[in-house]
Amino acid sequence: MLRKKRLRTLLKYKAQFISMIIMIALGVGVFVGFNMEWYSLERDTGELLEATGFADYRIYSEKGFTAQDLEKILAVDGVKEGTRFLSVNTTVQGDTNVLALTVSENIQVSGVYLMDGEPYDPESLDGIWLSDQYAEKNGIHVGDSLGLTYKIMQVRGTVKGLIKAGEYMICLPDETQMMPDYNSYGFAYISPAMLKKAILFEFYPQINVISDLPKADFVAAAERALGKTTLILGRDENVSWAESRGEIEEGQTMGSILPVLFLAIAVLTMVTTMHRVTASEKTQIGTLKALGFRNRRIILHYTSYALMIGLMGIALGIGVGYLLGWYILSPGGAMATYIDLPAWKLYVPGFCWAVLAAILLFVTGIGFLSVREMLAGTAADALRPYTPKKMRHLRVEETKAFKALGFGTKWNLRDCLRHKSRSFMTLFGVLGCTILLVGGLGMKDTLDAFVTQFYDVAIHYRNRINLDGENVTRSDAEALAEAYEGDWSAMGSVQMGEKPVSLEIYHIQRDKVRFLDTDMKVTPLGDEGAYICGRIARDQGLKTGDSLTFSPYDSEDSYTVPVAGVLSSLTESIVMTDACADAAGIPYTINTVYTDAEEIPSDSRILNAQSKKAIMDSFDTFMELMNVMVALLVIAAVVLGVVVLYNLGVMSYTERYREMATLKVVGFKDRKIGRLLITQNLWLTVVGIALGIPAGIGVLRYLLTALASEYELKLVIGPVTYAVSVLLTFGVSLLVGLMIARKNRHIDMVAALKTEE
Amino acid sequence: MEIVELKAVSRVYRNGEHEQYALKQVDLTLKEGKFIVILGPSGAGKSTLLNLLGGLDSPTSGTIHVAGKDISTLTEDQLADYRAATVGFVFQSYNLIPTLTVLENVALVKEIAPDPLSSHEMLKEVGLADHIHQFPSELSGGEQQRVSIARALAKNPRILLCDEPTGALDSETGVLVLKLLLRMAREMGKTIIVVTHNQQIAKMADTVVRVKNGRIVSCEDQEHPMTAEEVDW
Repeated sequence: MLRKKRLRTLLKYKAQFISMIIMIALGVGVFVGFNMEWYSLERDTGELLEATGFADYRIYSEKGFTAQDLEKILAVDGVKEGTRFLSVNTTVQGDTNVLALTVSENIQVSGVYLMDGEPYDPESLDGIWLSDQYAEKNGIHVGDSLGLTYKIMQVRGTVKGLIKAGEYMICLPDETQMMPDYNSYGFAYISPAMLKKAILFEFYPQINVISDLPKADFVAAAERALGKTTLILGRDENVSWAESRGEIEEGQTMGSILPVLFLAIAVLTMVTTMHRVTASEKTQIGTLKALGFRNRRIILHYTSYALMIGLMGIALGIGVGYLLGWYILSPGGAMATYIDLPAWKLYVPGFCWAVLAAILLFVTGIGFLSVREMLAGTAADALRPYTPKKMRHLRVEETKAFKALGFGTKWNLRDCLRHKSRSFMTLFGVLGCTILLVGGLGMKDTLDAFVTQFYDVAIHYRNRINLDGENVTRSDAEALAEAYEGDWSAMGSVQMGEKPVSLEIYHIQRDKVRFLDTDMKVTPLGDEGAYICGRIARDQGLKTGDSLTFSPYDSEDSYTVPVAGVLSSLTESIVMTDACADAAGIPYTINTVYTDAEEIPSDSRILNAQSKKAIMDSFDTFMELMNVMVALLVIAAVVLGVVVLYNLGVMSYTERYREMATLKVVGFKDRKIGRLLITQNLWLTVVGIALGIPAGIGVLRYLLTALASEYELKLVIGPVTYAVSVLLTFGVSLLVGLMIARKNRHIDMVAALKTEE
Repeated sequence: MEIVELKAVSRVYRNGEHEQYALKQVDLTLKEGKFIVILGPSGAGKSTLLNLLGGLDSPTSGTIHVAGKDISTLTEDQLADYRAATVGFVFQSYNLIPTLTVLENVALVKEIAPDPLSSHEMLKEVGLADHIHQFPSELSGGEQQRVSIARALAKNPRILLCDEPTGALDSETGVLVLKLLLRMAREMGKTIIVVTHNQQIAKMADTVVRVKNGRIVSCEDQEHPMTAEEVDW
């Protein structure tokens, strides 16, 4: 019989039960989804890196390494495997596309993962193993012929296989580009034999090594073995490793912040709602007790509702989590536009199951405690209807201002104070809704401003020409810049303490490159010293007026220059003018020219050119992803707002049903009673928004620091974001208020007022 | 002068195909300024009659004229205006707003009544001038019922409709409440209609209407109604 009652009670409180299930499903969905995201990404990327022998260290030398050099490195204790390695950007013949031509002498290190075609053959003299993504975007198939040009080197061969590679898991031409664009840039592997055939000698400017040694130990041992200081980068300084780790860490941060917000709201909704449901069932609980049902049976009966809600919410939440995970991690998913993996498998971290079990236990516990409270005392006690706390006088009531308030205001004010948990939950729901809106839309504003400043304002050229630095003299480079009416720079790596950073030396006369200060405002470069990026300033504790010291690789010299300012920069870099570098005696090689010229004819001095348009195009994908993410957050905010406010609105309506019936009997019209109800919702909404906006800004600020400190983003929130956040939250509150207020028409005055108080 | 006139009033409740008459072809005329008791056992239809008079419900057929106005065909909003201006309600279970003080509970009618009386005066009338800042939960049952009467009177209605007003009170407090209602009829000229199953209350009435099975069994004027003290409670 109790089974039938359970079903009917579920139907009676369907709005409450459904809202609890939705809130738990949302909380669990976000929790499982984001944790699944980082964990699956960790395993999926790990599988590719493992399968392709991703290197732990990369040793660089512009002059190249001999086979003996490799022997010396392999002889170092703790080095497991090594390879001489080459990766150069080549131009695709008959096209402006660029392919990173790659050769790894020992394919077990920094190797390939075959997706289609023949396995990699180290002896092949004409085989090209091409990025499958690049092939797909450019309509290239196995068996097609492909020609590549690098300086005077020409390579022509047949596409033997389509591949992925750990080294190019995130395939970016340079640090200015944030998203891969396989339409114009990809990678290809050829065999060492084919390289030798093409250039008639061996040239490997890199040794890649697999080793468990800590970086300091490895660097010391490698430099000892080679007999010179050299640039050695660890995994952390490789874009594929660092960026994918960054994504994993971002996922971990998201997995620990957003679910807390959603789960907190879900649990609070559950506590408030279960208490209300059992309170309104109190006389039935008392009746069962009076009939002779044991407490344990009654507790089991009512606790089973909470258990069912928990089970359904969690099951639905796991589904939502998988959907979220699939949306991010699948061949057509958001992450696939960034990271190139052969397989996207979804895994749920083990601890998630433990947390879900704890959530189920907790939710069931809430039901248990709620019914136990109603069962307290004798059967006669349990039979009495639940009475809310008695009203107490407040000090504020003595004030003239309070006395001057209308009846509706007093009614609502005291009702809020009488039903504190309900009011608090409403406030919390609105707060959550506003935080998500301000956070989501603010994130978009911030990135929009970032892209505009960095790419529309700071990049003031049409084309960036990469020169063959080693073979172009300074006067040649200057002549080229002059011919193209451009500015030039010299880019290189230097060592600052133990850390490799970029050294960028600019000669700016035609405003082709601009620099942004920490407020993202354009600032001119002075000749009196070097400018450092925000991260160097923060990590090294440097400020304007201090001195900094760095030393070029392959050199024993070191240079000390004053810090002239701090810049916003995508790269961890030291920036200075050529005048400053000349004054300090810093050697450099001009390797980049910035120009507005549209056509860049091929020239032996030019390696390749990269247009601003190509960089901007790659952002379209990034911004599309961002827009979808923001849309999801807005939807989540609206769902959260509607579900929480509707649930609490129904509760408030039920609890005040009798009072509203009284007002109706006295002669109040439905509209007026509706206004009273909506007014309370709107008050709480105003307070929720007032708290939610600074809280949203705080959360966004935290997320920017935790997730994207490498971009040195400056938080920007536009007036439209504020307006949309406020209006949407208000709109949700008003909509829900109107939905509840419509119920007034159906108040049964007679039945309501006949019931026992 | 007649204040209430019912002609062939029926109220039918339908439950699927089943029809149940709460009132059947009722004709009734009541005079203004009288203390009227509607008497009958449970389920007789007396509360239905009161609800129809109060504009809480509408008849299935027939006409109801109150203070010269046909209320049987009014819309929801017109009924709300009617309740605000013409009738006051007193229920067995007081129905006060728990979050408003005594004074505020009475004063809230100012928001809707066209010609309200002073809330302070009405509370003085019912003997609660010293309790105006207390919340209902701080009062006894009798006191709460008197607040409910003060609230009904503050609208300055012509008719006070009381549904078992002493049902939840002990007899001593009940007598106090009945004396108060009687005084309202005698001194303020209000028409007081009390619905009850308590035969003793009928002894105080100017007119006694007996209801049974949805029909008016009798409607008798009493020439010498008893005072509350004379009734054997």
